[in-house]
Amino acid sequence: MQIVVKNISKDFGKKKNAVHAIKDFSLKVDHGEFLGIMGPSGAGKTTLLNMISTNERPDHGQVIIDGLDLTKLHDRDQAKYRRNKMGFIYQSFELLDSLNVKENVILPLALNRSNKKLIEERFNYMMKLLNVENLSDRAIDELSLGQRQIIAAARALINNPEILFADEPTGSLDSKSATILLNYMQLINQREKTTILMATHDAFTASYCSRVVFIKDGVVFSEIVNPGDRDKFFEQIINMQRTIGGGNYFNVSENN
Amino acid sequence: MYRKIIKRSLSNMRDSYLIYILACSFAIGVFGILLSLGDNPSLRSALHLWQAEGSEFGDIGYGMGSNWILDIVETMSGIFAFFAAVYMIYVGGFFIKQQRNEFLTFEKLGMPQYVIVTISFFQTAIVQALAWVLGILAIFIFQKFMGMLLLYVMRIRFDFGMHISTSYIWTMLKIFGFSTLLLSVINAFRTIRILQKRKRKTLIKTRWWLRIPAGLFGLVLLFSAQVCTAFLFYDMHTISYSSKPITEVFYIMLADIFGTYLVYYGFLPSILNIMQKIRSLSYSGLNIFSFKYMKERLFQNISILWFVTELSALALALLTLCYFGYRAVYQNYDTSYPFELAANKDTVKVIKGELKKSDAKIKGEYKTAVKINLVSYYSKENQTYVRQPMTFMSYTDYKELPKRMHKGNSKINSKQFLKIDYNSSLMYSNKLSEHDIEVKNAPLIQTAKIGNSFPYGSSMHFGPMMIVPDNYYKKMPAEVTDTFYGWDFKKGDRLSHTQLEKLDNHRNAYVMKVDFASSLSKSTVEVMKNQPLKKYETGTYTQAGFLRQGNLKKRFKQGGGFYLYIVALFSVALLVALGSVLTLRVNLRDDYQSRQLRTLQKIGVEESEIKGIIRRENTLTFLLPIIFALIQAYTSIAMFDFGRHLSKNIILIYAGYVVLYCLFGLISYRISWRGVRQKFNL
Repeated sequence: MQIVVKNISKDFGKKKNAVHAIKDFSLKVDHGEFLGIMGPSGAGKTTLLNMISTNERPDHGQVIIDGLDLTKLHDRDQAKYRRNKMGFIYQSFELLDSLNVKENVILPLALNRSNKKLIEERFNYMMKLLNVENLSDRAIDELSLGQRQIIAAARALINNPEILFADEPTGSLDSKSATILLNYMQLINQREKTTILMATHDAFTASYCSRVVFIKDGVVFSEIVNPGDRDKFFEQIINMQRTIGGGNYFNVSENN
Repeated sequence: MYRKIIKRSLSNMRDSYLIYILACSFAIGVFGILLSLGDNPSLRSALHLWQAEGSEFGDIGYGMGSNWILDIVETMSGIFAFFAAVYMIYVGGFFIKQQRNEFLTFEKLGMPQYVIVTISFFQTAIVQALAWVLGILAIFIFQKFMGMLLLYVMRIRFDFGMHISTSYIWTMLKIFGFSTLLLSVINAFRTIRILQKRKRKTLIKTRWWLRIPAGLFGLVLLFSAQVCTAFLFYDMHTISYSSKPITEVFYIMLADIFGTYLVYYGFLPSILNIMQKIRSLSYSGLNIFSFKYMKERLFQNISILWFVTELSALALALLTLCYFGYRAVYQNYDTSYPFELAANKDTVKVIKGELKKSDAKIKGEYKTAVKINLVSYYSKENQTYVRQPMTFMSYTDYKELPKRMHKGNSKINSKQFLKIDYNSSLMYSNKLSEHDIEVKNAPLIQTAKIGNSFPYGSSMHFGPMMIVPDNYYKKMPAEVTDTFYGWDFKKGDRLSHTQLEKLDNHRNAYVMKVDFASSLSKSTVEVMKNQPLKKYETGTYTQAGFLRQGNLKKRFKQGGGFYLYIVALFSVALLVALGSVLTLRVNLRDDYQSRQLRTLQKIGVEESEIKGIIRRENTLTFLLPIIFALIQAYTSIAMFDFGRHLSKNIILIYAGYVVLYCLFGLISYRISWRGVRQKFNL
């Protein structure tokens, strides 16, 4: 699915207190691309993701996916589009505490009123793929943070979304859990050709992407394309972070 | 900074606080208005009739002293204040509970406990002060209106003047100070408890092994209560004098109260649990979430739902009692006093003369010839043989009287007999027939229907009276013949005190001395005029010379109006309290419950579907108590209606209550949805 973002902007607050979160922002994401969005805190990463995923409406501009301008759709149709074509992974997981693991994972399919057989099949497939079959009947508060994020990923992917949005997906995870999750995301991207948009401020996480766009103060600062070598790509990202924020924003020391 | 924290907390829960403040100010307003009526001079002068004359003309105003208004309104406002305080204490706790996490965070950040407690104290004090300001404002605005309404329902044409005395203002200020301090201290203690306990009991144990049998047992109890109610309807009709109906009522009450709790505790969650387990149902749309969400909310609110159910049932039962009580008194009054003024042939001349002098505007004038004869029969009610004089009236004459005279009696045709007797019970009206009534020198009356509505009023007759077919009447002999007169007036008979004093000499027309022999035919009657009567002499009966009922009618209407006013005020206040409790329960969700709705929206659940969850939650919270309350209140109809039938009026009263209650449900839903929308920017 090709995503074209044309001159979108978003302000928060009113009059004198207004904050320009996104200013005249344009972006193109190709089908099956794994795009990273980086920038310091408050740069507008989450706002950008929210607007592309129709969770927020831009004040101006267009978000066109496969020729369809989502900003022109009614709230109800946007919700339907979101449900059918998109998956979401958040830093805070956004799992429903009252439901158990299985119910959380199958929620998108249940919402679409898919048939029971398909629900069971997809659930078993996802649990196997993510290697968490033993967690099916657990309650959410019985899971570790890493397990919660894997379950959130399973929910995001169960209905074969064409676009996956991930907002700081590894923010709450230790490095081991983060690596597992990122490997899964890469696997999904390569196997299912799912377009992934991931906002992060972590260079290691971003190194899994095929391209990283850097934003600062609501505008595109620069972008780097993965050369095929992850270590080299990681270096490039670190350098760009230094350029943007003198290294302080990202907790990376000058000596690194 | 502390001021900022209080401001922020009040602003965050402004919708819920607004409901609470409005409900409290309504209660304060009603309480204040009730209290202010006690020493209102215009009300005193409008009701002078009640104060000065006491029970001169009847039993309705009996025992009323000169301070009766003050006594009644002080008692009523005392009862009202007690319930309002319970409401304020109970509901005020919701807000502190809602701020639990906030308080714990303050403590974690190093804020001293006493500061947190002080914050909660002042927060409560501010809310209470606001409620009082609005309540007192309501008193100033609505006192005149409520006073006028009171006089209107009492049918008194008098201009109600607003009156707020300094002593009254002082009393209100004292109550304000005391209640605000009390509530603030209670909430401060609640905060201390939160800070001491810290750990939150979020985990509700499902314990299905207990819930399922308990729920089924509750269902059995409710079902058995309904079966018992059916028996009660029958028993109240047939054997209301025995102890069986009381036992039944006792059982029904217990079964209803405990059955409802057990159904809430076990049965309804089990049903939701089963629905959640049926995959074809739960895997369809939002059901997967909403069944669990509803179950969770039900678990949380069981006690409140039960409490509201029982109070609603109590309110409906009270309304039922009030309605049937009012109807019984009204019927009793109606059957006893049909004309404003009644006389017999001995006093008619004097009365007419006085009426001419008083310039009374006569609306209707009636006269009926009657015969008095001796009768003997077996009284089923007293289970004894009775011998007494009885007044006889022909069927045609009876039918010519205004409809209200025979409305309350059994219907008869021109060939049937009707025995009109006193009703020993205020509530219960016996509609069975009487048999074998022996009349002196006249054919035996084999069957007579029963009635309690006396033409010309019961006090105009010695004892029971009989409506007989015209032929029978013509042929029957009479010991005494008389003619009764009755008048209706436009705006009363206008008789002055001096005229009444003069008429007092004609209160007794004549005395009959009956000498009962071994048989009726041998018994004799002697009529004595203008002779002083030796009190309680056996076999003597006094014929009243006249009956004046206008004042009594007025007093009855005033009493009835006052009663209706109080009942209506209490019912509306109860409704407001119950409605606001439920609304606040729906509105004040736990943080994690609110977050779940936001998550649903994030993953693509439509706004209309989230709205559906809120709607279902509201429906569940409001509909359950009213359904169960109606089921329970049905018993009160069986209790007070003595098994007659479901009258149209009681259905209307219930419908009115349900409509008002549902209105609260609707408002609650709108507020709840608005809260969710604002919170999540939906």
